Amino acid sequence: MTKLTLHNDGGEGDVTRELRALYAAPAGEPYWNELESRIMARITEVDLGWWAELDRWARPALLAAAVLVLAAGVAMFRARQVETRTAYESILTPSPVPVETVIRPTLEGDREASLRDVVGHKDRSNGRP
Amino acid sequence: MTAATAVHSTYAMPPSADGDPRRSSEERALVVAAQEGSNEAFAALVRLHQRRAYAVCRAIVLTHEDAEDAVQEGFLHAFRALDRFLPDQPFGAWLFRIMANASLDLVRRRKVRDADELSESAPAPFRDPGEADELRRRLTEALTRLTDRQRSVIVLHDVEGFTHGEIGSMLGIPEGTARSDLHHARAALRRLLKDVRSDI
Repeated sequence: MTKLTLHNDGGEGDVTRELRALYAAPAGEPYWNELESRIMARITEVDLGWWAELDRWARPALLAAAVLVLAAGVAMFRARQVETRTAYESILTPSPVPVETVIRPTLEGDREASLRDVVGHKDRSNGRP
Repeated sequence: MTAATAVHSTYAMPPSADGDPRRSSEERALVVAAQEGSNEAFAALVRLHQRRAYAVCRAIVLTHEDAEDAVQEGFLHAFRALDRFLPDQPFGAWLFRIMANASLDLVRRRKVRDADELSESAPAPFRDPGEADELRRRLTEALTRLTDRQRSVIVLHDVEGFTHGEIGSMLGIPEGTARSDLHHARAALRRLLKDVRSDI
């Protein structure tokens, strides 16, 4: 019985030879050309898929979104500026009617109404037996 | 001459020519062109690496058909991940890692499927029906007794000539583990085949 040898750091044994035969890649150009065609067919399929379409639109869409965000930001900033200016102006511009004149009639009216009510109540109480 | 057509001259180059600087620069040009959207350039990369890619996949999966599937999956993954690849890195190493991952995924999927089908019919061990040679038949049987990783490591090292470091990188294991897997795989094969006469 011949001793069976195995590849061992440099030498090529029977088992290694057999392993090579067992795992040998298919020979012949037609096989590899056909495999390449199959691989590329799958890749083209992927390349033409909806995500590729999406990918193609992603950059312009991102750009458009960025422009929109910028425009919205500018608009908001301007609106805020206008609002602030209006608020300052309304504070700084003197009111055409004095504050006292505006407030007093209301306060006086309330006070007089209360007095009338109290006096009227007193009168009604006095009139009782 | 475009990068895609330039590679035709290197098409039949053996894997040992990977360190060739001319080939490396051509390959880099192809990678860059493919990254810029040239399918022709990617086809040239496929042409350049498909044999070696097949060998990597074949070492990990059990059948030729599974190796073909894994190669196709692997190239598809590579195509999708191409924009993340840095052209200064060796393309082959990156690609073979993807191939190994695609093969390992396929092996995992097969295991789940086989486990599901076990109750219906017991699967026959992997065997070439046309095998007449005793050593080959016994070797085929012995290979099924190794762990998946041991089998992959011994084929990648002894058949395909990858180094321990390359194997470790492909299979996602430390170099030392690849070395010890190889040692155990060889020992197991010697034990399993010790009564086989090589001169049958």
